[in-house]
Amino acid sequence: MKSISLYVDNGSFLTKVHPFTKLMYIAAAVSVPLLLGRLWAFPCLIAASLCLLAAGGVLKKALPLIAFSFTILITIFLIHGLFNQNNATVLVSLGPLRFYREGLLYALRIGFNIMNMLLSFAVLVLTTRPSDLVEELEKRGFSQRFGYIINSVFQIVPQMTGTMNTITDAQRSRGLETEGSLSTRAKAFLPLISPVVMSSLINTRERAIALEVRGFGSGRKKTWLREREKHRGDSAATIALGILIAVALVFRIAEMIRA
Amino acid sequence: MAVITVENLKYRYPHTERLALSGLSFSVEKGEFIGVIGENGAGKSTLAQALIGLVPQFHKGAYGGSVTAAGLQAQTTPVAQMCEKVGLVFQNPFNQLSGAKDTVYEEVAFGMQNLGVERQEMKHRTEETLRRLGIWQYRDRNPFDLSGGQMQRVAIASVLVMQPQILILDEPTSQLDPQGSEEVFRAVGELSRSGITILMIEQKIEKLAAHCDRILLLHQGRQIAFDTPRKIFSMEGLEEKYGVQPPAFTRICRRLDRRLPDHTYPVTRKEAEGLFAERKQKTGSGAAAAEKQERRESHSAQEQEKETAERLPDRANILKQAQNSAAQQPGKTDAQDAQKEAPVFEIQNLCFSYHPQTPVLEGLHLILDRRPTAVIGQNGAGKTTLVKLLKGLLRPVSGQILFYGEDIAGKTVAMLAGEVGYVFQNPDDQIFKYNVLDEVMFGPLNIGMTREKAETEAKKALELVGLSGRETENPYDLELHERKLVAIASVLAMNTQVLILDEPTIAQDCRGRRIIGGIIRRLSQEGRLVLAILHDMDFVAEYFERVIVMAHGQVLADANAAEAFSQKAALAEAALERPYAAQLGERLGLSHTVLTVEELADCLR
Amino acid sequence: MKLFKTKFDAAVIVLIPACIGINYLGKLFAQLLKLPLWLDSIGTCIGGCLGGPVIGAICGAANNLIYGFTTGDSITLVYALTSLGIGVAAGIMARLGFMQSFPKAILTACVAGLTAVVISTPLNIIFWGGTTGNVWGDAVFAATQAAGMPVALGSLIDEVVVDVPDKLITLIVVFFILKGLPKKLTALYEADAAVERLD
Repeated sequence: MKSISLYVDNGSFLTKVHPFTKLMYIAAAVSVPLLLGRLWAFPCLIAASLCLLAAGGVLKKALPLIAFSFTILITIFLIHGLFNQNNATVLVSLGPLRFYREGLLYALRIGFNIMNMLLSFAVLVLTTRPSDLVEELEKRGFSQRFGYIINSVFQIVPQMTGTMNTITDAQRSRGLETEGSLSTRAKAFLPLISPVVMSSLINTRERAIALEVRGFGSGRKKTWLREREKHRGDSAATIALGILIAVALVFRIAEMIRA
Repeated sequence: MAVITVENLKYRYPHTERLALSGLSFSVEKGEFIGVIGENGAGKSTLAQALIGLVPQFHKGAYGGSVTAAGLQAQTTPVAQMCEKVGLVFQNPFNQLSGAKDTVYEEVAFGMQNLGVERQEMKHRTEETLRRLGIWQYRDRNPFDLSGGQMQRVAIASVLVMQPQILILDEPTSQLDPQGSEEVFRAVGELSRSGITILMIEQKIEKLAAHCDRILLLHQGRQIAFDTPRKIFSMEGLEEKYGVQPPAFTRICRRLDRRLPDHTYPVTRKEAEGLFAERKQKTGSGAAAAEKQERRESHSAQEQEKETAERLPDRANILKQAQNSAAQQPGKTDAQDAQKEAPVFEIQNLCFSYHPQTPVLEGLHLILDRRPTAVIGQNGAGKTTLVKLLKGLLRPVSGQILFYGEDIAGKTVAMLAGEVGYVFQNPDDQIFKYNVLDEVMFGPLNIGMTREKAETEAKKALELVGLSGRETENPYDLELHERKLVAIASVLAMNTQVLILDEPTIAQDCRGRRIIGGIIRRLSQEGRLVLAILHDMDFVAEYFERVIVMAHGQVLADANAAEAFSQKAALAEAALERPYAAQLGERLGLSHTVLTVEELADCLR
Repeated sequence: MKLFKTKFDAAVIVLIPACIGINYLGKLFAQLLKLPLWLDSIGTCIGGCLGGPVIGAICGAANNLIYGFTTGDSITLVYALTSLGIGVAAGIMARLGFMQSFPKAILTACVAGLTAVVISTPLNIIFWGGTTGNVWGDAVFAATQAAGMPVALGSLIDEVVVDVPDKLITLIVVFFILKGLPKKLTALYEADAAVERLD
């Protein structure tokens, strides 16, 4: 079964770091450049994320994520470089197209922000088993029901995509065309999606029964199978990241007072 | 002491008129093994859910009377508490996993986590139960990657770790292959011996009769009888009035009017054998063979596996035999047969694999004519792959498939749609219209029939599957067994030359099986090829002329039904059982293989 | 108040992941059939219609949060608020009876679409300077910018062009699916069902 989670279980140090520490890293990576408001802060943190990913042996896995955001980055550069309201100074001209400095700078800021967010999330996503994150959250009092919902999504989606292939075969067997003009394809949408939606909704009835008979929501204090080994660096890293955010915040406030 | 007491239980689902359960009263003693039987819609599953409190707490609706299980009131005790005393396992192995755990080990521990069992205790119980059910080796696998039988055992384990006093099983083997059901029955038998009270709903009546102490017969929500299997199955008109077919052994004895001293008919093979003992003594050699068989059966599962392994070198031999017998087939010169045996599909040196390293089919040669043909074998034998190739849904890696002499490689699925019909196993994979008639007309319209023609064909098909008069109903409001019939009708209406059925008998009671059997006979009389994948050997024996036994992507036997079921080595290799009549016939020393109850009764007369 | 009354039992808990899965599949099918739409909120709307606005909100928000946090698609994450709004809108409209006939469902679609526009536009401006990532919408945005309209207005038009048709198709699909659901199933989500005694 192909998982939708991007977690890579390669045993690197990052997989052993507590999920909360990585959450803290995301918080710091996203907030610090925004608080500082300086363009140079973005590349610093992007570099930091890239280093972490490389150290965790998952840099290669992060590339598709970056590639995925490329289309939106290009649109942003095109639109703002060409048409931004504040455009005044022409930077380069390519035939009839004139790219302006102001628009490109604006696009650069947005692009950096997107990359920064993507990569800092990648640090968590690529090195954390989703169920570990949920378990740690539940141990800290996060709702069991929400925990179930999150875990369940990871099981249900691959199952549904599997069913989807069977359904496509079943409907093609009954002579349904799935290729051709837009109207043919649009017509195919309902016969294809309906059965999987219907059956997954109908299956929820039995799944709910399955949960009931397994004592879900018994109101007792839940217990856990695994105990997490404490990682030495976790608390140190969390505190350091906390300080970083605080410093950036102070800097921002100071700047505002000065202004 | 009674561990389950049901008093005047009545129940109606919300938004329905009819009582699903109407006035049930019975009690079950601790340690008993109770079987629950009845046709589809009799209220069996509703009763199962009433015993653990899902009826009425989960479904709401209207409720009357009372149910006490293990000292708890099922109407008011929250299900989350009931489940510590009463465990419930149901049909579909997929849907009863929590769906939130990555490994079998964690899945099994899920219930205990919810109940707050200590970590050490939890680990101890999980390991013990996984070993007990023979699935310890799969502990780190994703439960959804297991086979049906393995998954169902995970489901049973997940319930057992909560240490219930009562275990309720609602058709746990209905979606499993023969080996999978055997695994489950063996596990349940062992549990029963360990003193757990068991209540099991099952359509596999021979197996149920062999295991249980008493049987509860339901019909349209009412309790008809609650008695020993022999008394229940000796009742008159069981089939006509209540839609329950007695075990094959009972039917044989009834035909011959051979009763036990207490005037009941035997229900198990052993009992039937005992009755015919005199005959057995006359034919000494047969008895010796039967005895040998008996000894083999008493082997533990492990030894059986070892035996299978030892038998493996014979495989080349079996294959040769299979090819020979297949080659002999077209030798017959009966005029009608000759017409029937004109090839429909010619499969030449067919190879297929999903992943290059693991071939599914290797160098398959097969000629399919118009005789109704059953493909039997365990899950993973390559049966579904084969029929998907015939349908053009998969493309061969190498080799050729000719359909009426033409290579299908040049045809698309859509082009084949009008020629080859294929009914998928799960009807929910195709149903999407809001009334039955539209659903059945979808295929015919796609292959270019006019609306009028499509409607006529659809109505004809619905009549064949016994769903006339339900054209305007929402298919999703029908029960699973009816939805399966809708799916069959939706392909029948396309009027194809070939009809492929994947596990058509799952979820059907004896009425549904008879309807499907009737369709198979009718189509083959009309000169069309019916090719079915089946796990139900008795159904195969009754309705199919030709049987193809498959295992590991190869054809182990290919012959007419009687011959195929006499090839023991091939059946053993494919881990298949023989039809019950054939089993009993052999034990009684018959020299040839009989297939059906009628045949055997005639032989013994 | 009845409008927001929510059951939170096992039946509803398992409904939510199913809805999130449906969102995923809608998106997948739309890509597979190369349709110029997202169709990624079918599940959210089903959740809202069956379980009420609160469940719709949870379906929507959880959907984007889960995909954002686990598949690394932080772009999705930003729109958790939009999804939440769509779920609430669909839920409220359904509770008010606006999913009972086809014309009413169209109205629901418009409400959901406009909700999406109102929430998404500021997000688009803050995070990507007004674009939506949809080719057609962004072409319109580019045109507005070329014509010298303010970013906010351009982005709003971009959103309207993209979201309203998408939600229209989405809710039509949802309407047909809900129509087909068996009573046996929908009965599980009735917030004020009670057990009746028969003796």
